[in-house]
Amino acid sequence: MVTLFGKRIRIFRPRSIWLRKVVQAFFFVLVLAITINHTLAESGGGIPLLSSASVHAICPFGGVETLYQFLTVGTLVQKVHQSAFTLMAIGFALAILVGPAFCGWACPLGTVQEWVSEIGRKIFRRRFNHFVPEKLDNVLRYLRYGVLAWVLYMTATTGTLFFDAYDPYSAMFHLWSSEVAIGGLVVLGITLLLSLFVERPWCKYACPYGALLGLSNLFRIFGIHRNESTCKADGACSIMCPMNIKVDTKTVVRDHQCISCMECTSEAICPVAKTVMLSTSRKTPATSAK
Amino acid sequence: MNITSKTLAALVIVMIFGGIMVSSALGLWQTTTTKEPAKFTEGEFAGQANPADIRGSYTFGDIEKNFGISGMLLAKAFGVSEGEPDAFQVKGLEELYASSEFEIGTNSVRLFVAFYNGQPYDLSTDIYMPESAAELLLERNLDPERLAYLQAHTVPNLAAGSESALPPATAPEATPTPQTAPAAETPVTASTNMVKGKTTFGELLSWGVPQAAIEQIIGGPLPEPSITAKDYCTAKGLSFETIKTQLQAEVDKVKK
Ligand code: SF4
Repeated sequence: MVTLFGKRIRIFRPRSIWLRKVVQAFFFVLVLAITINHTLAESGGGIPLLSSASVHAICPFGGVETLYQFLTVGTLVQKVHQSAFTLMAIGFALAILVGPAFCGWACPLGTVQEWVSEIGRKIFRRRFNHFVPEKLDNVLRYLRYGVLAWVLYMTATTGTLFFDAYDPYSAMFHLWSSEVAIGGLVVLGITLLLSLFVERPWCKYACPYGALLGLSNLFRIFGIHRNESTCKADGACSIMCPMNIKVDTKTVVRDHQCISCMECTSEAICPVAKTVMLSTSRKTPATSAK
Repeated sequence: MNITSKTLAALVIVMIFGGIMVSSALGLWQTTTTKEPAKFTEGEFAGQANPADIRGSYTFGDIEKNFGISGMLLAKAFGVSEGEPDAFQVKGLEELYASSEFEIGTNSVRLFVAFYNGQPYDLSTDIYMPESAAELLLERNLDPERLAYLQAHTVPNLAAGSESALPPATAPEATPTPQTAPAAETPVTASTNMVKGKTTFGELLSWGVPQAAIEQIIGGPLPEPSITAKDYCTAKGLSFETIKTQLQAEVDKVKK
């Protein structure tokens, strides 16, 4: 840490939150192992001591999809199990506390998109994640609310797990199974292809669960705060943000697309200590100490 | 108050796994549906599991647990020769008999169980049975009505690995004629819209069946779209098999 023009600047700083990558990889491997075990268990085998739940049983969005039927009829939509309700509740509790951390830290589909994006970043360098014109991008960002409304309406009126036929998450964990849906495979393919150009295209434009959790950014308890008094205004936080949020123009990030990845914070890309932080109030310790 | 990445990582992990542990302790963490069929509520079979409620997701092992018929015997009946019989899911029969002209699936298993255990079952629709299953049922002293039904609805074992043991001479006799098997005129395959126990009224509407036609068949106003036809019939005391046939006819009309 050195002091330059009166500001404390970290010389050797991590460019990324490495712990997030570890947690993401852990959840990806866990879900992969469970879903493979599900297939093995269905054919009479299976790995002992490891859960053999179906992908629908461990998807929090399943809880959201079945909510209407549960409240009106008292039953769950086919394929969805009670465990999905628990995960839904955990996802909501996390979101109220720290925003859509489930998206940024645990969702395996988000993780895979990030892995593919690493290739795109290497190919396109600074152009990566800046291909979509801003005006169009701003409009497309609301598309996922349309997807959310469509999925909930169709699930409520048909009483079936309607979205399964198009769900890239379900397709990804059914790749080895006869249950894999062609529609889901196509959407997964398009998502991974687009990930070469855009960071997290599914999350940004189409994910119905991300749309729902994203609303928590408007009222979350711990938010991303930028301390204007110590900020160098170098724009590093905005450049690094996978969701293209202009963090350097805000004192508190209330953008519905933030995924709580913390890549913009002083722990990662921001060179000034305690300037961009995940905290409860606008006043970071640096300012409050003054 | 600040949160570091380490704290957030711990929070995510503790909340997810802690939440799962708490819900487990409260008995709320269920990753499968309970495999317990509805029970007969009246008559001499009151309290016994009802074969009509066997679901496609049940394994032969689940049936053994609920109805006392061994998975091995069910595997022999339905020509399932691969893997662990107890782990075989009933819905797998549709795939196994995909090339059969007659539908062998969950209904066949339900009928087999009812005949094998001498429990009531609605025979107003055509449900087919592979020869290997029929042979086992013939050993069970069926009453004349059931015997006649079985003989008219036995079809050759077509599945790969089938273990049919009926002498060939009896097979042609047992194979249903078009008169006794109207379903043969309009063979229904797994890829088309088929009315099953889990079909909801919403699905029927989405397949293009007019609301008025559904209401006429069920004899009442259209219920909540998410309710399955089978649950509705059970709740209203209607014969699902009868309603199913009529609904299927409406679905077939739409397809034409
Ligand atoms: S604002 Fe910060 S925490 Fe939110 S998505 Fe962008 S980089 Fe991640």
